[in-house]
Amino acid sequence: MHIPDGFIPLWQCAIYWIIAIVAIGFALRWARENLDERNIPLLAVLAAGIFAIQAMNIPIPWGTSGHMVGAALIAIIFFSPWAAVLVLSIVLILQGLIFGDGGMTALGANIVNMGIIGGFVGFYAYKALKGVGRIPAIFLAGWASIFLAAIACAIEMAWAGTFPLAEGIIFMGLYHAVIGVIEGVISVVVVLGIDSVRSDLLADWVSSNKQGTLNTKQEVAK
Amino acid sequence: MNTQNRNLVMGGLAIAIVIAILAPFLASSNPDGLESTAESLEVPESEAVFESPLPDYAIPGMEDNPWGGVVSLILGVILVVMVMLGLTKLLGKRKGKGPE
Repeated sequence: MHIPDGFIPLWQCAIYWIIAIVAIGFALRWARENLDERNIPLLAVLAAGIFAIQAMNIPIPWGTSGHMVGAALIAIIFFSPWAAVLVLSIVLILQGLIFGDGGMTALGANIVNMGIIGGFVGFYAYKALKGVGRIPAIFLAGWASIFLAAIACAIEMAWAGTFPLAEGIIFMGLYHAVIGVIEGVISVVVVLGIDSVRSDLLADWVSSNKQGTLNTKQEVAK
Repeated sequence: MNTQNRNLVMGGLAIAIVIAILAPFLASSNPDGLESTAESLEVPESEAVFESPLPDYAIPGMEDNPWGGVVSLILGVILVVMVMLGLTKLLGKRKGKGPE
């Protein structure tokens, strides 16, 4: 859902840019307080993986396609929506500047939708749902992050006068309800994959490591 | 960086690069959700405000060659990792300079 140039009038673009810049400020503060030699490598490779997988468009019905965004995944793994804002901002800036994926005038709006809304919806959806079980909660958080980011995008497009409100919400909602399944599935797979090799790097609320009194890796490390 | 973290970075990068190699061959070229919505609602296509060096992950002059996409995506993967590591190092250093 990378918005291109020309879909949002410049004065509205400026508003999204300001929101994005403020959010990036908070994200950098989060990074300064929470990142260290232990977890920086995971964040860096996840950012690279997200960049790559955003190019892997998967076909959905109605001659459309969609790809993973990754904000919910990052927010869950690092226990902070600001982590998602940081990663998605860097990915979106490089995509816009170098690959023409998402317009530079719309960059602020793209950071708002995919980074901020995606990250916060993913974080709080997982928080609300983790009682039902880790795997369904990750899946639903991923799904909701895409779906609500798309609804926000449709509302922005209506405000911009580019899409009519009702039709925009129906089409964007329909397509992204399906694309959200891709997001949910890949998010679950990535968390389980990291959990199996480096559960110590996952935030406690999503790691299987927390009750692990008999963790072989820690035994070996001793 | 200790061995465990080096393995993590190497393993993670290997996965990202495999995706980067596969994507130009496997990815659907159908419009994405936003583009499809724009088409359905007959919104005209718009022009980018500036020419990016590798538009649409293709090397200019060889747009139809998927290997151009592979090279673009691998370059992007490396750039993202470098920016992330550089940025976090920068923030870490600033933290070190501050009062303990």
